[in-house]
Amino acid sequence: MNRHFWIPIGVAALCVLLTAPWWVVRAAGGGGGFDGVVNSIESRYHQRAMRIPFMGLASVVAGAATHGGVDCVRVAEFEHFSAPVDGEELNRMVEERLGQGWERMIRETSRHGGEQTMIFSHPDGKRMGLFIVDLDGAELNVVQVSVDADRLNETIIKYKHHDHDDEHTSE
Amino acid sequence: MKHRVAAIILGTAALVAPALAQPSPSPLPLPSPVEKQLAARAANVTEVTLGKGMLDFAARFMDNNDKDQVAVKQLIEGLDGIYVRDYEFDKEGEYSMDQLEQLRQAFGTPEWTPMVHEHESKSGESTDVMMKMINGEPQGIFVLDAEPKELTIVLILGPIRLDQLSELKGLSGLGGLGALGDAAKDKPGKDKASKDKTDDKAKKEGTQ
Repeated sequence: MNRHFWIPIGVAALCVLLTAPWWVVRAAGGGGGFDGVVNSIESRYHQRAMRIPFMGLASVVAGAATHGGVDCVRVAEFEHFSAPVDGEELNRMVEERLGQGWERMIRETSRHGGEQTMIFSHPDGKRMGLFIVDLDGAELNVVQVSVDADRLNETIIKYKHHDHDDEHTSE
Repeated sequence: MKHRVAAIILGTAALVAPALAQPSPSPLPLPSPVEKQLAARAANVTEVTLGKGMLDFAARFMDNNDKDQVAVKQLIEGLDGIYVRDYEFDKEGEYSMDQLEQLRQAFGTPEWTPMVHEHESKSGESTDVMMKMINGEPQGIFVLDAEPKELTIVLILGPIRLDQLSELKGLSGLGGLGALGDAAKDKPGKDKASKDKTDDKAKKEGTQ
């Protein structure tokens, strides 16, 4: 009886111990990469991101459809984003959370309007990681994607040729 | 022994800490404080920083069967970087002549040759175009366009052919450079284009 009582308690305690760092990091808006950026935005602006259902599946489908041209798609959407945003602060926060290896490629910021766009790139062998933060009015989107230019280009050319063929047959 | 280990750790930390504390160098060879001051005062800021890696990546999307895209590919593949900064201000006087001078001075080295310096005292607009020449070959171009409520900086590093610049028209913010490329195309020779502009500059300096 005694053993039966302690086993579930022990398992529960172990689970708490193992997940504690994750909860601490999340509560502090910490961590790196995509989740780190989204968590930081959530905790700094007190807004909740909408996670898109089956995004993992969509990412796998995108990868298969483009033969690996587009992969690791992650999207977080903040709707009704009403908090005032200081572009410089947002930029600093995103840069800190993304960590080393990411370079800002494009930044467009307006002091008055709620418009902020940042695109970061991360070369990774043949692939290029792209990280986009876009605030347009009351909607803020965070997107991460990994692109293989050669494979994606092959797919684009393939569909371009299909398009041309369709045009010729319709004529 | 313990003291020795502690001394080694502290010594290493003292050596490493300043290196770690240093901010990563800006890819744009502009005076960083000026860039920050301008960004802080501007109502709208646009920054485009395309390093060699990104340009090579973009070049891979160009269609080899399209003549125009092949030309753009050839141009951007050799480049080391394209940097654009555009600052829009709410009112006039948000940037000083001193700041403009600091930006010009960043390119005041012997390898940078002023090609165009235009100043309209009535409107307060000015345009500077400088070319980086190494062994007689253009290896970079710097454009500084100042309007009372807008300041635009374009820097292209790497081997440049002026007649190819017009191919960059399609790239946002680089349309003006395309016009420069067109001007070079219209001239019978590259040297003449450069000379004409230098002559203009000399005339303007003479009248000032």
